[in-house]
Amino acid sequence: MYRTLQYALLFLVAAALQIFLFNNLSLSVYLNPLVYVVFIALLPMEASPLTMLLSGLAMGVAMDWTMGAAGVNTIATVFVAFIRIHLLNFVCGKENVHDGGVPSSRRLGDKAFLNYLSLVVLIHNAIFFYLEALSPAHALATLLRLCVSAAVGILFCWLIARLFTNRLSLRV
Amino acid sequence: MYRLLEFLRSIYVALLFIIIEAVAIGYYARSSQFTQARILTQSNRLVGGIHGAFHNLKHFFTLPAENRQLLERVVSLENELSLYREQAVYHALDTLASPLAGPYQYTSARVVANSINKQENFITLNKGLDYDVSPEMAVITPAGEMVGYVASCSDRYSVAVSILNTSFRASGEVLGDGHYGAISWNGLDSRYVSMSDLSKYTRIERGDTIVSTTISNYFPAGIRIGTVESFELNETRTAYNVKVRLAADMSALHDVILIKNQDLNELTQLNDRVQNKNSLDN
Repeated sequence: MYRTLQYALLFLVAAALQIFLFNNLSLSVYLNPLVYVVFIALLPMEASPLTMLLSGLAMGVAMDWTMGAAGVNTIATVFVAFIRIHLLNFVCGKENVHDGGVPSSRRLGDKAFLNYLSLVVLIHNAIFFYLEALSPAHALATLLRLCVSAAVGILFCWLIARLFTNRLSLRV
Repeated sequence: MYRLLEFLRSIYVALLFIIIEAVAIGYYARSSQFTQARILTQSNRLVGGIHGAFHNLKHFFTLPAENRQLLERVVSLENELSLYREQAVYHALDTLASPLAGPYQYTSARVVANSINKQENFITLNKGLDYDVSPEMAVITPAGEMVGYVASCSDRYSVAVSILNTSFRASGEVLGDGHYGAISWNGLDSRYVSMSDLSKYTRIERGDTIVSTTISNYFPAGIRIGTVESFELNETRTAYNVKVRLAADMSALHDVILIKNQDLNELTQLNDRVQNKNSLDN
Protein backbone atom coordinates (compact mmCIF):
# COMPACT_ATOMS: atom_id res chain seq x y z
CA MET A 1 0.00 0.00 0.00
CA TYR A 2 1.22 3.47 -0.77
CA ARG A 3 1.99 5.99 1.98
CA THR A 4 2.18 3.23 4.54
CA LEU A 5 4.84 5.16 6.44
CA GLN A 6 2.76 8.34 6.61
CA TYR A 7 -0.27 6.45 7.84
CA ALA A 8 1.77 4.49 10.41
CA LEU A 9 3.02 7.83 11.70
CA LEU A 10 -0.54 9.22 11.80
CA PHE A 11 -1.63 6.13 13.74
CA LEU A 12 1.14 6.64 16.30
CA VAL A 13 0.58 10.40 16.65
CA ALA A 14 -3.21 10.06 17.02
CA ALA A 15 -2.83 7.22 19.53
CA ALA A 16 -0.14 9.04 21.54
CA LEU A 17 -2.19 12.26 21.69
CA GLN A 18 -5.18 10.28 22.92
CA ILE A 19 -3.27 8.27 25.53
CA PHE A 20 -1.00 10.92 26.96
CA LEU A 21 -2.98 14.12 26.48
CA PHE A 22 -6.73 13.67 26.08
CA ASN A 23 -7.12 10.67 28.42
CA ASN A 24 -5.51 12.67 31.22
CA LEU A 25 -7.67 15.78 30.87
CA SER A 26 -9.10 16.32 34.34
CA LEU A 27 -11.30 19.29 33.56
CA SER A 28 -14.82 17.92 33.69
CA VAL A 29 -16.85 14.71 33.67
CA TYR A 30 -18.40 15.95 30.45
CA LEU A 31 -15.16 16.46 28.53
CA ASN A 32 -13.69 13.27 27.09
CA PRO A 33 -12.59 14.05 23.52
CA LEU A 34 -11.85 10.94 21.44
CA VAL A 35 -9.57 12.26 18.72
CA TYR A 36 -7.95 8.99 17.64
CA VAL A 37 -10.86 8.38 15.25
CA VAL A 38 -9.24 10.97 12.94
CA PHE A 39 -6.99 8.12 11.77
CA ILE A 40 -10.02 6.30 10.34
CA ALA A 41 -11.45 9.52 8.86
CA LEU A 42 -8.24 10.31 6.99
CA LEU A 43 -7.62 6.90 5.38
CA PRO A 44 -7.62 7.23 1.57
CA MET A 45 -11.07 7.13 -0.01
CA GLU A 46 -10.12 4.22 -2.26
CA ALA A 47 -8.97 2.03 0.66
CA SER A 48 -10.49 -1.44 0.41
CA PRO A 49 -13.26 -2.42 2.87
CA LEU A 50 -10.91 -5.00 4.37
CA THR A 51 -8.17 -2.39 4.95
CA MET A 52 -10.73 -0.12 6.61
CA LEU A 53 -11.98 -2.90 8.86
CA LEU A 54 -8.49 -4.00 9.93
CA SER A 55 -7.38 -0.39 10.52
CA GLY A 56 -10.43 0.16 12.70
CA LEU A 57 -9.72 -3.04 14.57
CA ALA A 58 -6.06 -2.11 15.16
CA MET A 59 -6.90 1.38 16.47
CA GLY A 60 -9.82 0.12 18.56
CA VAL A 61 -7.82 -2.63 20.23
CA ALA A 62 -4.88 -0.29 20.87
CA MET A 63 -7.19 2.22 22.57
CA ASP A 64 -9.05 -0.44 24.59
CA TRP A 65 -5.76 -1.81 25.77
CA THR A 66 -4.34 1.52 26.92
CA MET A 67 -7.60 2.84 28.41
CA GLY A 68 -8.50 -0.46 30.08
CA ALA A 69 -11.85 -0.19 28.33
CA ALA A 70 -12.57 -3.87 27.51
CA GLY A 71 -14.08 -3.44 24.04
CA VAL A 72 -16.04 -0.16 23.79
CA ASN A 73 -13.42 1.52 21.61
CA THR A 74 -13.21 -1.47 19.29
CA ILE A 75 -16.99 -1.65 18.88
CA ALA A 76 -17.25 2.06 18.03
CA THR A 77 -14.15 2.30 15.81
CA VAL A 78 -14.81 -0.83 13.75
CA PHE A 79 -18.38 0.30 13.18
CA VAL A 80 -17.27 3.73 11.94
CA ALA A 81 -14.58 2.15 9.73
CA PHE A 82 -17.21 -0.16 8.21
CA ILE A 83 -19.74 2.57 7.36
CA ARG A 84 -17.22 5.28 6.43
CA ILE A 85 -17.55 4.75 2.68
CA HIS A 86 -21.31 5.30 2.95
CA LEU A 87 -20.77 8.48 4.96
CA LEU A 88 -18.38 9.73 2.28
CA ASN A 89 -20.84 8.88 -0.49
CA PHE A 90 -23.62 10.58 1.43
CA VAL A 91 -21.72 13.82 2.08
CA CYS A 92 -19.61 14.18 -1.08
CA GLY A 93 -21.41 12.17 -3.75
CA LYS A 94 -20.44 8.80 -5.20
CA GLU A 95 -18.68 10.23 -8.26
CA ASN A 96 -16.38 12.40 -6.22
CA VAL A 97 -15.49 9.60 -3.83
CA HIS A 98 -14.84 7.18 -6.67
CA ASP A 99 -11.93 9.37 -7.86
CA GLY A 100 -10.10 8.54 -4.60
CA GLY A 101 -7.51 10.58 -2.72
CA VAL A 102 -7.08 11.57 0.91
CA PRO A 103 -10.16 13.22 2.42
CA SER A 104 -9.26 16.84 3.15
CA SER A 105 -10.50 20.42 2.94
CA ARG A 106 -8.65 20.94 -0.35
CA ARG A 107 -9.88 17.72 -1.92
CA LEU A 108 -13.54 17.88 -0.83
CA GLY A 109 -14.04 21.56 0.00
CA ASP A 110 -14.11 23.08 3.48
CA LYS A 111 -17.80 22.57 4.13
CA ALA A 112 -18.09 19.01 2.84
CA PHE A 113 -14.96 17.92 4.70
CA LEU A 114 -16.13 19.45 7.98
CA ASN A 115 -19.54 17.80 7.58
CA TYR A 116 -17.91 14.45 6.89
CA LEU A 117 -15.49 14.76 9.82
CA SER A 118 -18.29 15.83 12.18
CA LEU A 119 -20.43 12.89 11.12
CA VAL A 120 -17.59 10.39 11.71
CA VAL A 121 -16.75 11.83 15.16
CA LEU A 122 -20.41 12.14 16.20
CA ILE A 123 -21.34 8.57 15.26
CA HIS A 124 -18.19 7.17 16.89
CA ASN A 125 -18.69 9.19 20.09
CA ALA A 126 -22.41 8.37 20.28
CA ILE A 127 -21.68 4.63 20.25
CA PHE A 128 -18.86 5.08 22.75
CA PHE A 129 -20.72 7.20 25.30
CA TYR A 130 -24.02 5.30 25.22
CA LEU A 131 -22.23 1.94 25.51
CA GLU A 132 -20.10 3.33 28.33
CA ALA A 133 -23.14 4.58 30.26
CA LEU A 134 -25.11 1.43 29.40
CA SER A 135 -28.26 2.65 31.11
CA PRO A 136 -31.10 4.95 30.11
CA ALA A 137 -31.07 6.49 33.61
CA HIS A 138 -28.88 9.46 32.74
CA ALA A 139 -29.66 9.69 29.02
CA LEU A 140 -29.65 13.50 29.11
CA ALA A 141 -26.34 13.70 30.94
CA THR A 142 -24.88 11.26 28.40
CA LEU A 143 -26.22 13.45 25.59
CA LEU A 144 -24.53 16.49 27.13
CA ARG A 145 -21.31 14.52 27.53
CA LEU A 146 -21.59 13.46 23.88
CA CYS A 147 -22.18 17.02 22.63
CA VAL A 148 -19.35 18.64 24.62
CA SER A 149 -16.81 15.90 23.91
CA ALA A 150 -17.73 15.62 20.22
CA ALA A 151 -17.49 19.40 19.69
CA VAL A 152 -13.99 19.50 21.18
CA GLY A 153 -13.11 16.23 19.40
CA ILE A 154 -14.17 17.61 16.00
CA LEU A 155 -12.06 20.73 16.57
CA PHE A 156 -8.92 18.73 17.35
CA CYS A 157 -9.57 16.18 14.58
CA TRP A 158 -9.84 19.07 12.13
CA LEU A 159 -6.53 20.53 13.34
CA ILE A 160 -4.78 17.15 13.03
CA ALA A 161 -6.32 16.65 9.59
CA ARG A 162 -5.03 20.08 8.49
CA LEU A 163 -1.50 19.28 9.68
CA PHE A 164 -1.55 15.83 8.08
CA THR A 165 -3.05 16.66 4.70
CA ASN A 166 -0.99 19.82 4.21
CA ARG A 167 2.02 17.56 3.86
CA LEU A 168 0.46 15.30 1.26
CA SER A 169 -0.37 16.00 -2.35
CA LEU A 170 -4.07 16.07 -3.22
CA ARG A 171 -4.42 12.97 -5.32
CA VAL A 172 -2.67 9.64 -5.22
CA MET B 1 -19.85 -24.98 -4.85
CA TYR B 2 -18.36 -22.30 -7.05
CA ARG B 3 -21.39 -20.10 -6.50
CA LEU B 4 -21.16 -20.59 -2.75
CA LEU B 5 -17.50 -19.49 -2.80
CA GLU B 6 -18.41 -16.54 -4.99
CA PHE B 7 -21.19 -15.61 -2.56
CA LEU B 8 -18.86 -15.86 0.45
CA ARG B 9 -16.30 -13.72 -1.36
CA SER B 10 -18.90 -11.03 -1.90
CA ILE B 11 -19.93 -10.85 1.72
CA TYR B 12 -16.74 -11.76 3.58
CA VAL B 13 -16.06 -8.20 4.74
CA ALA B 14 -19.57 -7.84 6.16
CA LEU B 15 -19.18 -11.25 7.76
CA LEU B 16 -15.82 -10.28 9.26
CA PHE B 17 -17.40 -7.04 10.52
CA ILE B 18 -20.18 -8.94 12.28
CA ILE B 19 -17.72 -11.42 13.81
CA ILE B 20 -15.40 -8.67 15.14
CA GLU B 21 -18.29 -6.68 16.58
CA ALA B 22 -19.85 -9.78 18.15
CA VAL B 23 -16.56 -10.74 19.82
CA ALA B 24 -16.00 -7.18 21.07
CA ILE B 25 -19.56 -6.83 22.39
CA GLY B 26 -19.33 -10.25 24.06
CA TYR B 27 -16.07 -9.32 25.73
CA TYR B 28 -17.42 -5.95 26.86
CA ALA B 29 -20.59 -7.51 28.26
CA ARG B 30 -18.62 -9.96 30.37
CA SER B 31 -16.05 -7.45 31.63
CA SER B 32 -15.99 -6.05 35.15
CA GLN B 33 -13.99 -3.33 36.86
CA PHE B 34 -11.37 -5.97 37.64
CA THR B 35 -11.00 -7.02 33.98
CA GLN B 36 -10.51 -3.37 33.10
CA ALA B 37 -7.99 -2.82 35.88
CA ARG B 38 -6.08 -5.91 34.68
CA ILE B 39 -5.95 -4.67 31.08
CA LEU B 40 -4.73 -1.29 32.31
CA THR B 41 -2.05 -2.96 34.43
CA GLN B 42 -0.75 -4.80 31.35
CA SER B 43 -0.64 -1.71 29.14
CA ASN B 44 1.15 0.22 31.87
CA ARG B 45 4.16 -2.03 31.37
CA LEU B 46 4.53 -0.25 28.03
CA VAL B 47 3.18 3.27 28.56
CA GLY B 48 3.46 3.66 32.35
CA GLY B 49 6.95 5.15 32.15
CA ILE B 50 5.88 7.86 29.69
CA HIS B 51 2.76 8.63 31.76
CA GLY B 52 5.09 9.03 34.74
CA ALA B 53 7.35 11.45 32.91
CA PHE B 54 4.40 13.66 31.87
CA HIS B 55 2.95 13.57 35.35
CA ASN B 56 6.25 14.52 36.95
CA LEU B 57 6.40 17.58 34.73
CA LYS B 58 2.87 18.63 35.74
CA HIS B 59 3.63 17.80 39.36
CA PHE B 60 6.65 20.10 39.42
CA PHE B 61 4.41 23.18 39.23
CA THR B 62 2.21 22.17 42.15
CA LEU B 63 5.05 21.32 44.54
CA PRO B 64 4.93 24.44 46.77
CA ALA B 65 1.23 24.05 47.59
CA GLU B 66 1.66 20.38 48.24
CA ASN B 67 4.65 20.94 50.51
CA ARG B 68 2.59 23.30 52.60
CA GLN B 69 -0.18 20.70 52.92
CA LEU B 70 2.29 18.01 53.90
CA LEU B 71 3.82 20.25 56.54
CA GLU B 72 0.39 20.87 58.07
CA ARG B 73 -0.25 17.16 58.02
CA VAL B 74 3.09 16.43 59.72
CA VAL B 75 2.22 18.89 62.49
CA SER B 76 -1.19 17.34 63.12
CA LEU B 77 0.27 13.82 63.06
CA GLU B 78 3.02 14.83 65.49
CA ASN B 79 0.33 16.08 67.84
CA GLU B 80 -1.57 12.82 67.54
CA LEU B 81 1.63 10.82 68.02
CA SER B 82 2.43 12.55 71.28
CA LEU B 83 -0.96 11.42 72.59
CA TYR B 84 -0.27 7.82 71.58
CA ARG B 85 3.16 7.91 73.18
CA GLU B 86 1.52 8.84 76.42
CA GLN B 87 -0.96 6.01 76.06
CA ALA B 88 1.83 3.58 75.25
CA VAL B 89 3.24 4.11 78.70
CA TYR B 90 -0.08 3.17 80.26
CA HIS B 91 -0.36 0.15 77.98
CA ALA B 92 3.11 -0.98 79.02
CA LEU B 93 1.95 -0.95 82.61
CA ASP B 94 -1.24 -2.88 81.77
CA THR B 95 -0.13 -6.43 80.97
CA LEU B 96 -3.57 -7.53 79.73
CA ALA B 97 -3.96 -4.76 77.15
CA SER B 98 -3.86 -5.61 73.46
CA PRO B 99 -0.63 -4.85 71.60
CA LEU B 100 -0.44 -1.34 70.15
CA ALA B 101 0.28 -2.33 66.56
CA GLY B 102 -2.98 -2.40 64.54
CA PRO B 103 -3.77 -4.53 61.50
CA TYR B 104 -2.99 -1.71 59.06
CA GLN B 105 0.26 -1.15 57.19
CA TYR B 106 0.94 2.12 55.34
CA THR B 107 2.99 3.00 52.30
CA SER B 108 3.06 5.94 49.89
CA ALA B 109 2.86 6.06 46.09
CA ARG B 110 2.75 8.62 43.32
CA VAL B 111 -0.13 8.94 40.85
CA VAL B 112 1.12 8.57 37.26
CA ALA B 113 -2.23 8.64 35.47
CA ASN B 114 -5.71 9.55 36.61
CA SER B 115 -8.96 10.41 34.84
CA ILE B 116 -12.28 11.85 35.97
CA ASN B 117 -14.02 12.11 32.59
CA LYS B 118 -15.12 8.51 32.10
CA GLN B 119 -17.86 6.48 33.73
CA GLU B 120 -15.29 3.99 34.97
CA ASN B 121 -12.25 5.93 36.12
CA PHE B 122 -9.02 4.32 37.25
CA ILE B 123 -5.86 5.63 38.91
CA THR B 124 -2.43 4.30 37.94
CA LEU B 125 0.18 4.32 40.74
CA ASN B 126 3.95 4.04 40.42
CA LYS B 127 4.38 1.15 42.87
CA GLY B 128 3.52 -2.49 42.34
CA LEU B 129 4.29 -5.96 43.65
CA ASP B 130 8.01 -5.04 43.98
CA TYR B 131 7.05 -2.61 46.74
CA ASP B 132 4.64 -4.98 48.48
CA VAL B 133 1.62 -3.24 47.01
CA SER B 134 -1.19 -5.75 46.51
CA PRO B 135 -4.81 -5.75 45.35
CA GLU B 136 -7.45 -4.71 47.91
CA MET B 137 -5.27 -2.04 49.51
CA ALA B 138 -7.08 1.20 50.34
CA VAL B 139 -5.97 4.42 48.62
CA ILE B 140 -6.29 7.75 50.48
CA THR B 141 -4.83 11.25 50.10
CA PRO B 142 -2.03 12.41 52.44
CA ALA B 143 -4.72 14.41 54.27
CA GLY B 144 -6.63 11.18 54.97
CA GLU B 145 -9.46 11.39 52.41
CA MET B 146 -10.92 8.37 50.58
CA VAL B 147 -9.74 7.97 46.96
CA GLY B 148 -10.26 4.32 45.94
CA TYR B 149 -8.82 0.83 46.27
CA VAL B 150 -6.17 -1.15 44.39
CA ALA B 151 -7.65 -3.67 41.96
CA SER B 152 -4.64 -5.03 40.07
CA CYS B 153 -0.83 -4.92 40.26
CA SER B 154 2.13 -5.55 37.98
CA ASP B 155 5.71 -5.59 39.24
CA ARG B 156 6.20 -1.86 38.98
CA TYR B 157 2.71 -0.36 38.71
CA SER B 158 -0.72 -0.82 40.20
CA VAL B 159 -4.18 0.26 39.09
CA ALA B 160 -6.80 1.43 41.57
CA VAL B 161 -10.55 1.75 41.12
CA SER B 162 -11.29 5.44 41.68
CA ILE B 163 -14.16 6.56 43.95
CA LEU B 164 -15.29 8.21 40.68
CA ASN B 165 -16.04 4.81 39.13
CA THR B 166 -19.67 3.77 38.76
CA SER B 167 -18.66 0.28 40.00
CA PHE B 168 -17.01 1.62 43.17
CA ARG B 169 -18.75 0.62 46.42
CA ALA B 170 -17.92 1.47 50.04
CA SER B 171 -19.81 2.02 53.26
CA GLY B 172 -19.93 5.36 55.02
CA GLU B 173 -21.39 6.72 58.25
CA VAL B 174 -22.29 10.10 59.64
CA LEU B 175 -19.51 11.05 62.04
CA GLY B 176 -20.78 10.94 65.59
CA ASP B 177 -24.05 9.16 64.77
CA GLY B 178 -23.06 5.65 63.72
CA HIS B 179 -25.80 4.88 61.18
CA TYR B 180 -24.28 3.81 57.90
CA GLY B 181 -25.17 3.81 54.21
CA ALA B 182 -23.76 2.73 50.84
CA ILE B 183 -21.43 5.10 48.99
CA SER B 184 -21.44 5.11 45.17
CA TRP B 185 -20.94 7.48 42.22
CA ASN B 186 -23.66 8.11 39.66
CA GLY B 187 -21.26 9.29 36.95
CA LEU B 188 -22.63 12.83 36.67
CA ASP B 189 -20.45 15.19 38.71
CA SER B 190 -16.85 14.64 39.80
CA ARG B 191 -17.33 16.68 43.00
CA TYR B 192 -20.14 14.61 44.52
CA VAL B 193 -20.89 10.99 45.42
CA SER B 194 -24.15 9.69 46.82
CA MET B 195 -24.92 7.74 49.97
CA SER B 196 -28.06 5.60 49.88
CA ASP B 197 -29.89 3.40 52.39
CA LEU B 198 -29.05 5.64 55.34
CA SER B 199 -31.59 4.97 58.11
CA LYS B 200 -34.26 7.64 58.42
CA TYR B 201 -33.61 7.76 62.16
CA THR B 202 -30.15 9.22 61.57
CA ARG B 203 -29.54 12.69 62.98
CA ILE B 204 -28.16 14.42 59.93
CA GLU B 205 -27.52 18.02 58.96
CA ARG B 206 -26.00 19.82 56.01
CA GLY B 207 -22.22 20.05 56.53
CA ASP B 208 -21.97 16.85 58.61
CA THR B 209 -18.84 14.79 57.94
CA ILE B 210 -19.15 11.36 56.32
CA VAL B 211 -16.41 8.85 57.19
CA SER B 212 -15.64 5.20 56.46
CA THR B 213 -17.11 2.58 58.81
CA THR B 214 -15.69 -0.22 60.92
CA ILE B 215 -17.45 -2.79 58.68
CA SER B 216 -15.40 -1.85 55.63
CA ASN B 217 -12.90 -4.51 54.59
CA TYR B 218 -10.54 -2.22 52.67
CA PHE B 219 -10.70 1.08 54.56
CA PRO B 220 -9.79 1.66 58.21
CA ALA B 221 -12.63 3.31 60.15
CA GLY B 222 -12.73 7.10 60.20
CA ILE B 223 -11.27 7.87 56.77
CA ARG B 224 -12.97 11.07 55.59
CA ILE B 225 -15.21 10.68 52.52
CA GLY B 226 -16.81 14.12 52.40
CA THR B 227 -19.47 16.40 53.83
CA VAL B 228 -23.26 16.35 53.51
CA GLU B 229 -24.36 18.72 50.75
CA SER B 230 -28.07 17.84 50.76
CA PHE B 231 -30.32 14.94 51.74
CA GLU B 232 -33.87 13.71 51.17
CA LEU B 233 -36.02 10.69 52.01
CA ASN B 234 -36.18 8.09 49.24
CA GLU B 235 -39.37 7.22 47.33
CA THR B 236 -40.56 4.68 49.88
CA ARG B 237 -39.73 7.09 52.71
CA THR B 238 -37.72 4.44 54.52
CA ALA B 239 -34.22 5.83 54.20
CA TYR B 240 -32.25 8.94 53.29
CA ASN B 241 -30.45 9.56 50.00
CA VAL B 242 -27.57 11.87 50.75
CA LYS B 243 -25.54 13.96 48.31
CA VAL B 244 -21.97 14.01 49.62
CA ARG B 245 -19.40 16.61 48.58
CA LEU B 246 -16.11 14.72 48.17
CA ALA B 247 -13.34 15.66 50.57
CA ALA B 248 -10.57 14.68 48.14
CA ASP B 249 -9.94 16.86 45.08
CA MET B 250 -9.92 14.04 42.53
CA SER B 251 -8.71 16.24 39.68
CA ALA B 252 -5.53 17.18 41.56
CA LEU B 253 -4.19 13.88 42.90
CA HIS B 254 -0.41 13.61 43.04
CA ASP B 255 0.74 11.60 46.05
CA VAL B 256 -1.38 9.04 47.84
CA ILE B 257 -1.10 6.73 50.84
CA LEU B 258 -1.83 3.02 50.48
CA ILE B 259 -3.18 1.04 53.41
CA LYS B 260 -3.03 -2.72 53.68
CA ASN B 261 -5.40 -4.54 56.03
CA GLN B 262 -3.22 -7.44 57.15
CA ASP B 263 -6.21 -9.18 58.70
CA LEU B 264 -8.25 -9.08 55.49
CA ASN B 265 -7.30 -12.61 54.43
CA GLU B 266 -8.16 -14.04 57.79
CA LEU B 267 -11.48 -12.17 57.83
CA THR B 268 -12.49 -13.37 54.35
CA GLN B 269 -11.56 -16.97 55.18
CA LEU B 270 -13.57 -16.79 58.38
CA ASN B 271 -16.53 -15.33 56.51
CA ASP B 272 -16.31 -18.01 53.80
CA ARG B 273 -16.16 -20.76 56.39
CA VAL B 274 -19.27 -19.50 58.16
CA GLN B 275 -21.10 -19.11 54.85
CA ASN B 276 -20.10 -22.61 53.73
CA LYS B 277 -21.24 -24.05 57.01
CA ASN B 278 -24.51 -22.20 56.75
CA SER B 279 -25.19 -23.42 53.23
CA LEU B 280 -24.33 -26.99 54.28
CA ASP B 281 -26.73 -26.75 57.22
CA ASN B 282 -29.46 -25.57 54.93
